Amino acid sequence: MSQIITREQLKSLISELVKADTLVAAPVATEKGTCFFQYVNESARVVLDAGTSVANSIKEFFFPRHEEICRFVRQANDVVVTDAPVFDKRQVIFGVRPCEASSLPVLDPLFAWDYQDRFYQSRRANTTVVSFACTHTDPHCFCSDMGGSPDNASGSDALLFDLGDGSFEVRTFSDKGKALFEGRTSSSDRTGKACEAPAKTLDLDAIRHWIDAHFNDPMWDEETYRCVGCGACTYSCPTCHCFDIVDEGSFAKGKRVKNWDSCQSALFTLHASGHNPRGTQGQRQRQRISHKFSIYPAKFKVFLCTGCGNCTRVCSTSLGVKPMLDKIADKTKQK
Amino acid sequence: MRETAGKLLAEGTVDVVIGYGRLETGAVGAVFVTKVADVDKLVWNDECHQDLVVYLTRKETKKLGRPAVVVKGCDARAAVVLANESQISLSDVYLIGMVCPGMKNTKAANDASGNLPLYDRCLTCQDRVPRHVNAVIGDEAKTNLLSPEEAATKGNFARLAKLRAMSPQERLDWWSHEFSRCVKCYACRQNCPLCYCNQCVADKNRPVRIDTSSTLKGNFAWNILRAFHLAGRCVGCGACANACPAGIDLDLLNLTLAMTAEKEFGHVSGREVGTAPLIGSFSEQDKEDFIR
Repeated sequence: MSQIITREQLKSLISELVKADTLVAAPVATEKGTCFFQYVNESARVVLDAGTSVANSIKEFFFPRHEEICRFVRQANDVVVTDAPVFDKRQVIFGVRPCEASSLPVLDPLFAWDYQDRFYQSRRANTTVVSFACTHTDPHCFCSDMGGSPDNASGSDALLFDLGDGSFEVRTFSDKGKALFEGRTSSSDRTGKACEAPAKTLDLDAIRHWIDAHFNDPMWDEETYRCVGCGACTYSCPTCHCFDIVDEGSFAKGKRVKNWDSCQSALFTLHASGHNPRGTQGQRQRQRISHKFSIYPAKFKVFLCTGCGNCTRVCSTSLGVKPMLDKIADKTKQK
Repeated sequence: MRETAGKLLAEGTVDVVIGYGRLETGAVGAVFVTKVADVDKLVWNDECHQDLVVYLTRKETKKLGRPAVVVKGCDARAAVVLANESQISLSDVYLIGMVCPGMKNTKAANDASGNLPLYDRCLTCQDRVPRHVNAVIGDEAKTNLLSPEEAATKGNFARLAKLRAMSPQERLDWWSHEFSRCVKCYACRQNCPLCYCNQCVADKNRPVRIDTSSTLKGNFAWNILRAFHLAGRCVGCGACANACPAGIDLDLLNLTLAMTAEKEFGHVSGREVGTAPLIGSFSEQDKEDFIR
């Protein structure tokens, strides 16, 4: 027996959660029709369609683009520091793609490694992720290469399969998922099915080996002339997690905050001396690709990429991870 | 275009042709052709929306040597602004000017006839035949230009008129809503041919001039500041709005200032070679008397 919920029931669920002071994030369409994950305070504008392409990543609900760490006030000859409160609300994210959800288990070890990051961990513990199994793929999808699939349950508390008639089959994978849908579904004998997985084309071992052996290869510069060095790829990536810590305010009082930062920006590695160890865009692209496919897996035994393709979709010059991996794959076959 | 590019490379007039090509992802974007044998990689169609003039000031592409760059009318104006601001010398670059039919908005939904619509800035464009370029390629008779009067009521101008009809509070709410999505990736700046500062004010951290935080305050500060820095400079190529991953209509901010520059000072950026930058010059005939 399967469990079924309708789109209208999902919308009611969202309304109830909002009323009960739970933060709800879901795809919302702008005037021009592009969808973005945003916090919502009513269910009317939410797009609950398994085929929706969403332009931003869910990472900002776990690792916000701006987060306060502490506040400071200067008193006489002393500085009083107050820790920022830990996230203690509950939040539910609807309409997540499996490739986005599967980024969470990839990031978990990073935020619980030498330093236990209570900011990330509290959000992670208090969040329920409700995903939609994919109904279609586009040319930028490569989840199959990264071990995922259109119905991959990794990172999801619940996975919903579109039955095509305004209802969804609900499969739950955690206590949080079960609790959310408890008593809200009806039994049925119908089951859903995701679309076909994108073709698997990459030999990641060969790619990793090539990256490790070609730090100074001219390819890095030659194939990245078109990159203009913005951070759209890193900021739309569900696994990119670099941040900068800055103080805001005045000498008398202010706050210390954590802001997203991007390895694609020249300022990221600029030394106070003026020297920049990653002085060209090619070197910055090399860093991003190496981090995802060599450095991170060496440390955490998992690739820092889920094959979602967000980077290429948002790139103004249609670069991003997959085109770079294809170029490297060509190199590995040349010998 | 390919013939011109091939000839320039064969004769050694230039070392690299920066043009449009069909990329591995299927999109059309920048390709860098350094060999005559590769000129077939160059394409010209209605997907060539990127402004390639941005590469003229990038140090990575400067290393490739003397450049030729394929430009549309708007892009050519950007190159002229760079020359007027002493960032490039027009005698050091070869501008291959393409008569432009307007570019397809690949991010929009199909129109009633099942085609992608033109960018609305292309609909109202007055620069379909590039000026101040080394070669003009294409049929100038087929540009299908709207009269300036008609253009002023359509496309991006109509979008702006809608905003201007709002009350200040409504307009502030509208921009707040839009800017709330800004993640400060600086795709607008990096894709802009005229954002060439060695150190952008947003990157100044000793002391910090603009919050790096992507809060509403920081986002307003950044986007308003960038718009003002482009006052009388922006050529309306739309690269910022096209590149914005948050889909913010940044072009409207710049359009407002460009209209003001034209109305108050008769200044159209990049229209003429040798014009002093609007912000960097003054006239004793100025209607404000503080200047005298």
